[in-house]
Amino acid sequence: MTPLVRRLAARAPVPVYPIAGFGMRDAVQDLRLEEGLVLVDTPRAAALLLVAGAIGPKHRDAVARTHDALPHPRATVLWGGDGDGLAIADAPRIDRAADVVPALCDLFARLVLGSRPTEEPILADEDPIEWRGVGPYGQGGTGMTGGTPYGRPMADLGPDRDGLRLDVVPVEIGPFFARLPAGLVLDLSVAGDVIVEAKVASASLGVEREIQMGAARSPFIRALSGPVAIAELEVARARDHLRWMAGALHAQGMPSLGVRALRLAHEVQPGDGDQVRNFGRWTARTGLFHWSLPSGAGRLAPDLPGMGLGPVSRAAGLPEDLRLADPSYQALGFAPRVLDADDVGARWRLRVEEAAAALDLAARAGDAFAGLTGMVESPRGRLTPGDAPSDRAIALIPRLLEGLEWSDALAALVSLDLDLDESGLAVSVDAAVAV
Amino acid sequence: MSAPAAIGLVALLLVAGTYVVAVGDRWIAALAGGRRVRARTLLVAPVYSAALAMTTSRTTTERPDGPGWALAPALLTSLAALALAMVPLAPGIVAADPETGFVVFSAAIAFVMIAVFLHGWSPNSMLPLHGAYRYGAQALSFQIPFLLAMLATSLPAESLSLVRIVEAQAPLWNVVRQPLGLPLYLVVGLAVSFWGPLNLPDGDDLAGGTSAEDAGMARLLWGMARSSMLVAVAAMGAAAFLGGWHGPILPGPVWVIVKTLALLGLILAAGHLFARIRIERFVLVSWALLIPLALLNVFVSGAFLL
Amino acid sequence: MVALGPLAVATAVTLTALLAVLGLWWFGDRGRGRRTSAPERVPFTGGRAPRVHAWNRYHARYYPMALMFLAFDMEMVFMYPWAVVFVSEGLIAMIEMGMFIGILLLGVLYAWRERALDWA
Repeated sequence: MTPLVRRLAARAPVPVYPIAGFGMRDAVQDLRLEEGLVLVDTPRAAALLLVAGAIGPKHRDAVARTHDALPHPRATVLWGGDGDGLAIADAPRIDRAADVVPALCDLFARLVLGSRPTEEPILADEDPIEWRGVGPYGQGGTGMTGGTPYGRPMADLGPDRDGLRLDVVPVEIGPFFARLPAGLVLDLSVAGDVIVEAKVASASLGVEREIQMGAARSPFIRALSGPVAIAELEVARARDHLRWMAGALHAQGMPSLGVRALRLAHEVQPGDGDQVRNFGRWTARTGLFHWSLPSGAGRLAPDLPGMGLGPVSRAAGLPEDLRLADPSYQALGFAPRVLDADDVGARWRLRVEEAAAALDLAARAGDAFAGLTGMVESPRGRLTPGDAPSDRAIALIPRLLEGLEWSDALAALVSLDLDLDESGLAVSVDAAVAV
Repeated sequence: MSAPAAIGLVALLLVAGTYVVAVGDRWIAALAGGRRVRARTLLVAPVYSAALAMTTSRTTTERPDGPGWALAPALLTSLAALALAMVPLAPGIVAADPETGFVVFSAAIAFVMIAVFLHGWSPNSMLPLHGAYRYGAQALSFQIPFLLAMLATSLPAESLSLVRIVEAQAPLWNVVRQPLGLPLYLVVGLAVSFWGPLNLPDGDDLAGGTSAEDAGMARLLWGMARSSMLVAVAAMGAAAFLGGWHGPILPGPVWVIVKTLALLGLILAAGHLFARIRIERFVLVSWALLIPLALLNVFVSGAFLL
Repeated sequence: MVALGPLAVATAVTLTALLAVLGLWWFGDRGRGRRTSAPERVPFTGGRAPRVHAWNRYHARYYPMALMFLAFDMEMVFMYPWAVVFVSEGLIAMIEMGMFIGILLLGVLYAWRERALDWA
């Protein structure tokens, strides 16, 4: 009986919980195009844990806790990292440049068929506090449930804007929450479904500089230290926006359209602006701007002038764009798109328009090179060595999220398009220049 | 129908329906994602995934409400079974036809809220708990328009029996007689079965919401329970609005199945082509738009009967 | 069973489904009997351990709407029998229910104006 079930199970699409470490963000995202894999949102739904790229020491506990949250039988694949001090003895290590899919499928089949044992928990089996309540159900003692089971107290009362005193739950989201970039940890206080206070507890993967400097470079990072063709930059910009859209569509409940956006990101070539515009029109017909994105939420205007946050700034009516100062772009007649609304939806529309315009521009650019050195307008804004736009955007998060309902808060956060890899790479370029 | 026969019939409908939903949803996801998949892959994928769930252990959390966690999928499935038992397949073929069939169906729908809330509450984890309370708001908003949309169909039948409601559609289907009814029913039906744009309790923003802590068999059973509810809603829609077994040439049960599949297709497609609705927006639309429209539907279709 | 009528059959169907799924829950779990370690039981919010239990005195901000629901739910109770006798009673049934519902809908308008339907 069991062998038949196992043989059938071994042929199921492989459920993988991915942790996209440093430099592997795009590679992990591309796994969504694979038919034999399912990237799941919670480790409870996974059979395999994929640790891609490097993870800094400060997040290794979180990797271990994620690992232990997987049900049995479970296994881990390390892809393009150094093992990261994880106590998983015989996890397959796949080279960064190699295709990870066969390794995942093979490991999954062996795991399910029973020829590979399940992985034991990494963390020590200790309850934070040994807890024994009074009475048969532990109901006695002090406090709401008779003490503090598992060393965790109950949430405490706090004031609320409704004038009531109800529980405010402190919770840390991240660093490996499915809808957010790996490495971002939000320290939230939540009352009901509304975030009353938000802090950023971590905004990096915490990997060493040497690893960062060895990572693959996007055209925008290369543009910091040498000339890059405009066509290459603009196609990369369009692709980056489309990749953002793939994640954002998923966050709004449309993973299959997200896959389409991701495929488009791979396929677009200079001059394909209309393809992007068509796709943008399609996504607008999903009701996205009518009932899904919170209109008017996520405003940042008073803080924005001078921050150079690319689409976020330009969606708030600020024509901040380094390309305006670039003679090569001026020669091409470049004019940035600007919208006035300064909300989540405006950032979405602006990125679609910008991606399309970038592809048109790439077709016109011929083999012209960008004229600025030491700075570039990345898809997220003004990028200079040691100073990435996402770092500046992090500072806006507390004010952005306060008072928003959970799904609105997530949409607002996604609309910032945080890229912690870019921040790390900018720092490493800074180091290279200093040396 | 005798109890064993009724149990067999409903079990058959549930198993077949769940399978159809699993295959159909994968197919539509592939179409919407511009992905080509072979028919054979589609047909066997649900079986493989179910087998995987059976070989995977269930996980637990710190201090969960264990009995509640087990009860949630069981309750949701049993409510779907109860709702399906009321659906007439052909003259004389219905698992149970009480005089108050419509009231029984409504009661089953009302209890869905309990099942979903229980499912989100039990793991004692933050994301499921948010999903649970969110469904509270969703359920309190959809109950009234859902019942009103259905109630209008019992006006021409002068009865709360679903067999009578189908019989009364012999001259003209309710979808024509009450043009507002079916669209309202489908929108709210999405909310009842928390599917697609109205999948707020198990949404992608909550990393799975009430099912975020489910592993192995728990995840499989909850998914099957959700699909069962979807099948029940679609089958009831076919009976109450699309004339049930009425139709030319083909035998009655075939018509019921065809109509149910058509509604399922609509719902599943909506699941992939529409963005998730904000909970606040849904609450507002339910109270300020759907309820008045549903009442309008009741009174206008009533006025035509006088 | 047949003598007890269709409601008994419906009950039998419901209970059978309930018990069948509960049975699958208990017996269909391969990990049954496996001891879970403490870290395996930590609720998942992205990798960090929670500081407090998730259960709390949750601020369900939609409570005014829940109160409104109670009023409408009572109205539904009246509408079931009303729907059956509607055709035989004729215009008088329509007018009576119209007045009743009209007043309730005024309540919705008031609640809407008081921002009871949006909370975030």
